[in-house]
Amino acid sequence: MKMDSVLNAMASFLRLISLLCLPILFAVSAIGSVSEGVAEDFSEDLLLKPLPDRKVLAHFHFQSTAPSSRSNSYGRHHHLFPKAISQLVHKYRIKEMELSFTQGRWRYDRWGGFDPISSSNAKPSGVELWAVFDVPPNEVDATWKNLTHSLSGLFCASINFLESSTSYSAPKWGFHPASENMRYGTLPREAVCTENLTPWLKLLPCRDKSGLSVLMDRPSIYKGFYHSQRLHLLSSEYDSNAVDLAIVLDQTLTVVLQPHSHRGTLGYSTATQLQPSWSLSSIFGRRVTGKCALARSSNVYIQLDRGLMAELQGMLGEQEMFAIIGASSEGSGSNPAFELSANPDRVHMEISSRDDKHLSVLYMFMVEEKYDDSEPLDLRFTWKIPVAWSIPQAPLHVTRFLLGSGNERGAIALQLKSTKPSDRLMPDTVISDSCSLLVRVFQVVPWYIKVYYHTLQVFIDDRPHTIANVVEKMQVSPSKDKVSPGVMEMLLKFPCGLKSAALTIEFDKGFLHIDEYPPDAHQGLDIPSAVISFPDFFASTQFMENNISKSPILSKWQGQSPILSYTEVLLVPFTTPDFSMPYNVITITCTVLALYFGSLLNVLRRRVGEEERFMKSKGTNNFHVSHLVSKSLARLRGRQWEPSESQSSSSISNSKSKLLFKVILVAGLAAAWQYYFGSGT
Amino acid sequence: MYQFYTSKMVLPLILILGLAYLGDSMAYASPSETTTHTNNWAVLVCTSRYWFNYRHMANTLSLYRTVKRLGIPDERIILMLADDIACNPRNKYPAEVFNNENHKINLYGDNVEVDYRGYEVTVENLLRVLTGRHEVAVPRSKRLLSDEGSHILLYMTGHGGDEFLKFQDSEELQSHDLADAVKQMKEKHRFKELLIMVDTCQAATLFNQLHSPGVLAIGSSKKGENSYSHHLDPDVGVSVVDRFTYYTLAFFERLNMYDNTSLISLGKA
Repeated sequence: MKMDSVLNAMASFLRLISLLCLPILFAVSAIGSVSEGVAEDFSEDLLLKPLPDRKVLAHFHFQSTAPSSRSNSYGRHHHLFPKAISQLVHKYRIKEMELSFTQGRWRYDRWGGFDPISSSNAKPSGVELWAVFDVPPNEVDATWKNLTHSLSGLFCASINFLESSTSYSAPKWGFHPASENMRYGTLPREAVCTENLTPWLKLLPCRDKSGLSVLMDRPSIYKGFYHSQRLHLLSSEYDSNAVDLAIVLDQTLTVVLQPHSHRGTLGYSTATQLQPSWSLSSIFGRRVTGKCALARSSNVYIQLDRGLMAELQGMLGEQEMFAIIGASSEGSGSNPAFELSANPDRVHMEISSRDDKHLSVLYMFMVEEKYDDSEPLDLRFTWKIPVAWSIPQAPLHVTRFLLGSGNERGAIALQLKSTKPSDRLMPDTVISDSCSLLVRVFQVVPWYIKVYYHTLQVFIDDRPHTIANVVEKMQVSPSKDKVSPGVMEMLLKFPCGLKSAALTIEFDKGFLHIDEYPPDAHQGLDIPSAVISFPDFFASTQFMENNISKSPILSKWQGQSPILSYTEVLLVPFTTPDFSMPYNVITITCTVLALYFGSLLNVLRRRVGEEERFMKSKGTNNFHVSHLVSKSLARLRGRQWEPSESQSSSSISNSKSKLLFKVILVAGLAAAWQYYFGSGT
Repeated sequence: MYQFYTSKMVLPLILILGLAYLGDSMAYASPSETTTHTNNWAVLVCTSRYWFNYRHMANTLSLYRTVKRLGIPDERIILMLADDIACNPRNKYPAEVFNNENHKINLYGDNVEVDYRGYEVTVENLLRVLTGRHEVAVPRSKRLLSDEGSHILLYMTGHGGDEFLKFQDSEELQSHDLADAVKQMKEKHRFKELLIMVDTCQAATLFNQLHSPGVLAIGSSKKGENSYSHHLDPDVGVSVVDRFTYYTLAFFERLNMYDNTSLISLGKA
């Protein structure tokens, strides 16, 4: 008996040990499988950049890559790569997809328009989604519809509104060079908030628990002037001659924040005012306590753009500039212009094919093991001298606005103003060839804005110009009522010395069915942003170091990204359904009808002569009776009988009291009505 | 406009036991008698739009926080918010929503999942969620995937009237619609017990047509009564919570996941 219980205890103990060991065994086998073949990869970057208008740009970039499921030894299982995304890619056969959630408007004039960040991360407010599918052309629309629903579930947003054919379009060449089987849609009024960021963060292997994403304190991020959260997916899973890497997922979050300036706020002119100093903890309220353990690389960069460097070069001497450029070799990151709280691990200088001294500088800080909870990375950037500079701009600054008034018709105007880029920004082709500037315009207009494409007018330097001279190529697919939006793609060729150009196009406002109006239709309806791109210009930043392909931000910058800018969203006031209007119409119609029929009946039915006769006979009868009665009464009282006065006065007082009674009755009824039914909701 | 109730407030609860005993008298056996409780679901709906209706969003988010705290996971909560107030430009506290002027609890938190929002909050979508009649493409997170053993909480707040509840000032859910949906749910074995809580003016009138067994309905006001806000937060600038929800939450705040409290004690609170 005793032996039995001991054996029992032993057995249970062994079972316990085996249970404890099981996870370890699994983990070991998992590590074993990772080492085979091309592994999944994740890296994280954060770029910080002072902006000329006393704000700071923070740009997070997370990149996850997954090998192709064919070359992959473990099939469709993933260790780092988010399963939800790989399922999307496989289910909808996505070649490329981009989804962005944006709040605020990117200020191209202040925050830059000629760098990789502005061309790929400045997005129109609300939601923008485009995708290229690897399915037969007749299945694209159905796939798109299903994709919008899936994304709406994944990102807690109403992306499913993009399923209706009235809200998306198929750009041919105006938006993206490779646009076969592409669909594009925007929701300009979609709210963007925490519930969209959280699922986006859940795609990261460390979520927001460790690594750079720890900085994403929701109140600080949403306090910003602009924030854009983007997800870009590039898949070569269905490409037969693809390399090992099958899916590349880039997640970026771009925020423009206002650092709290403790001093220097009293100066009035920007030239003498010291730019605000900032640190990670002052703009995010949090600090980096180490890298995400699963990330291959985790870096923080501080970038000084070309404009700032040119300005500094003008202000400082050769020696001092050297201190800025060679900050890492010096003992500390201090120089006459600004001070960095930590020594950069590396300094990257931009290289240019043309000999040019105004080049941007990038300080790199590696978040490796040296930072932890006890010694977190709290990068601080302190200005020492006041600097004012301007940031590189796109060749043309674009604004879009509405012309006309009233609820019937109007016009859309697109104004392009030259920002006078210096020659060094101009590509060689523009300078050498017949001097011209190519501009591509892509504009989607909802069907209820009925655009008359023949009314397109072009003004160059405020003078009307023939369209044939300017428009190189144009593709229009007019809208169909309640079926599809109107799409306009144009390639314009302007002369080089252009100061300003404007395009106008007229439209009529259509009528919507009563249940097609949104609940807040009185605000007006939106025309989505137009996309303006400059096919001759590319934003690419090359850096001297050659091993920077490790970092997702820098490898992205190496590539040639086209210069893009989005215009403002237009708000078009519309005639809105108003329930008081039908009510008024009904009331007035009824009144008119009642008056008409009443008088008509009066005229038809009334026999005036007969009535008069009847009244007369009745009146004489009455007169006789009353006459007799009053006479006899007077006799009784022993007075002289006065025939008419008293009677008339009594009748007047009688009618007065009647009127008074009526007024009181109506007021009483009204009060009672108010009391019983008038209490509000 | 706002008043503080210092004395012990008696909740204007109207409990309509939706003919729960009718099932016994019927010829067929009610499935709610035989099936065991499987899971809990919550459908939380805020039907009003615009900043000045902050309190309705806050009401719904408070309930969301409470049911999550008491153990219903996000995938079993369908949250419908008719407007975005957390990131509204008028909100002085971006990405934060408060239901009390002491600002102790940020209802929006870091992990909120809104399933239907903005223009998606329509009568049609609510009825689709309740009855489970969706388009094929609609993702699972937007569906009420309950079964015949489920206990469901349906909470709605907004502006209501005699037998209707306004959705975004443009359409109404009528008591007949709600009763039909509940009846359909019952017939499709989508719930074992359903608790409907409504915080609107004349809320109880919304239950007039309910005749399905296994349904308990709580309204904030009777016919002819109004539901008022509890208090105004001078920092936010608008009223932040309704009285009914405030006292309901006060009751729930005292509970934790393992409490065995029944609804009767809510009525007594």
